[in-house]
Amino acid sequence: MRITFPHIGNAYIAIKAMLDPLGVDYVVPPKCNKRTLSLATKYSPEGVCIPFKLNLGNMIEAVELGADHIMNVTGHGTCRMGYYFKVQEQILRDMGYDVTMMLTGLSEHKLKGFLNLLRSVSNNAPWSKIISSFAFGIAKMTALDDMEILANNMRAFEIHKGTITPLYRKSLQAIDDASDYHSLKAVVREYGEEMSGVEVIPDYKPLKILVVGEIYVVLDPFANMDVEMELGKLGVVTNRSLYLSRWVKKGLFFNPLGIDQWRDVHKAAMPYLKRDIGGDGWETVGEKVISTGHYDGMVHLAPFTCMPEGTAQCIMPSTKEDLPVLAIYCDEQTSKAGMITRLEAFTDMIAMKKAGCLSQ
Amino acid sequence: MSCKVGIPRALLYYKYFPMWKAFLEKLGAEIIVSEDTNQKLILQGASLVVSDTCLPVKVFIGHVLSLSDKCDKILIPVVRSTSEKVYNCSRFLALPDLAKAVVPGVTPILEIEFDYSRGKRYLYRQIYSLGKHFTINPFKIKAAAEYAWETHQRYHKITTEQHLTRVEAIDLLCKGKSIEIKEMGNDGLTIGIAGHPYVLHDEQVSHNLIKRLKAAGVNILTPEMAPETPDSNGNGHTRFAGLAKNYWESEEDVVGAGDWYTRIKVDGIIGIMAFACGPDSMMMSLVQRQAHSANIPFMSLTVEEHTAEAGVVTRIEAFLDMIYRAKRRNQQCV
Repeated sequence: MRITFPHIGNAYIAIKAMLDPLGVDYVVPPKCNKRTLSLATKYSPEGVCIPFKLNLGNMIEAVELGADHIMNVTGHGTCRMGYYFKVQEQILRDMGYDVTMMLTGLSEHKLKGFLNLLRSVSNNAPWSKIISSFAFGIAKMTALDDMEILANNMRAFEIHKGTITPLYRKSLQAIDDASDYHSLKAVVREYGEEMSGVEVIPDYKPLKILVVGEIYVVLDPFANMDVEMELGKLGVVTNRSLYLSRWVKKGLFFNPLGIDQWRDVHKAAMPYLKRDIGGDGWETVGEKVISTGHYDGMVHLAPFTCMPEGTAQCIMPSTKEDLPVLAIYCDEQTSKAGMITRLEAFTDMIAMKKAGCLSQ
Repeated sequence: MSCKVGIPRALLYYKYFPMWKAFLEKLGAEIIVSEDTNQKLILQGASLVVSDTCLPVKVFIGHVLSLSDKCDKILIPVVRSTSEKVYNCSRFLALPDLAKAVVPGVTPILEIEFDYSRGKRYLYRQIYSLGKHFTINPFKIKAAAEYAWETHQRYHKITTEQHLTRVEAIDLLCKGKSIEIKEMGNDGLTIGIAGHPYVLHDEQVSHNLIKRLKAAGVNILTPEMAPETPDSNGNGHTRFAGLAKNYWESEEDVVGAGDWYTRIKVDGIIGIMAFACGPDSMMMSLVQRQAHSANIPFMSLTVEEHTAEAGVVTRIEAFLDMIYRAKRRNQQCV
């Protein structure tokens, strides 16, 4: 039994940290690349969204490396994500691969479901071991997000363009290599100091942009073509509504206790969208409403044909809170040059708006 | 003076219109249904929403727009779930808010949310809050709701027992038009069509698919003709028998129907879906795979506002020719 799991952003580092102490035989699929995408588009249904395609591409590449069990999530909901596994399984079978899906319903079983999944892949390891490795994985996830937040903040300020990104890449590797809490803490401190210590432009007042949208394309730099890095290069500080560690902590720990971590956002969205429409659509509308005044603009990322985000995008122009929004659809056809041009135009326009040049 | 309630002839209209009509008319409202879909209406609807919205929603917005000066209120129900933990597509859940956001000067919207997963009490409260717009007498609302439910059951029964399409059944129930019952010939082809009623039965959207097939002398089966309960062989169970766990509310029209067609061995299956339809993008692929493994010819038609009619006609002709030829060859071999 060799386990694999599809990528989402840098989550593989955290999942590795969970599986390593349990002695699981696993393969990490190669990071998303051109081949993943072309395999994925070749075998996926035509109109399906990019997260499905990339996940399938990961699975195919992992199966080629000898994986036969795939960890995946399901759920009940209106979004397609909860049903991916069924179609992906069929496609892999039709391709002649004999794979077994190991599933957990994140929306129903929450934390317990995920721990049970870990237990089943680890051949019934003792609970103490499972919980401790899970906790270490979460710690790594938090460290990853801390590094990312710092990098996205500092990139706008650096004098020598292109110093932060290599540092950030190195920090990911170092976090991956850290084997215990002590070394993890040291890595975070070391790279944190190094990144905050780069030479900065004095008295620079950057634009602030919030990145929102569907969770997969927001978290995955391959799917969104490094949108945050590109914005950083243009001298913009970015923040986002979704970080995997926060999402996991709040979604798995607080939600089962009946605490709605998005309450403010939902409340803000109420006048324009009265109910949860699945995916992250409700949150997107709410984020626009509550971020007005705190940010100069918003980049809305969505996979092409995404149902909730498409609806959110239709509704957003009607809010009375006025925040410039740039919608970027991600699919296999999106080109980086086109996206960069749009980002440049967008940042120019919000800079002009901020300076009062667009008074009419 | 009675209140004029507009109902857009799109999306859920095909599934629930007799029920809504019965309920509202019992409470003394006057029903106005928007005109048949036409190209102008589609283009108007499409111009109001972002371009990657699916065609049925664009059509829906066009209908809401066309109703806006003809009635006092528009009924836009939200059907979230009709069985436990099976939810509807995200687009359906946002319809009232979407209409409010994109249609300029929209008439006040009557909303009602059906959510089976939240229990009966929630449903009753929703029905009562809808009925309150017309009468303050709760008993009258209850009676109207019961009558509406009966009508809905009758509507279902007609489609399955008499093999009528939804549009024919609506004509029969609500307009009193009589339908000539056609004898199903044994010699012709039987083609099953998998697809949502709002794509299949909207003649403008499907480019008269049903009429064209009938004109070609083909017996057609549509999803609503599938019997609700399985027969002794377990056939005709539209609720995703065997193939897949029921995930989306309205996907029994696609996967359930596809399942039924492969079990009763039709001569061919046509899957019709709207471009950018989220659920269908995955479900149609399941039907296709199933048809493939059962060795039944399958054709997938994807429609959008730019689809050319001539292209659809050519593909239907080619598909039928192919099936006829294969059938003849098989008979010669025997």
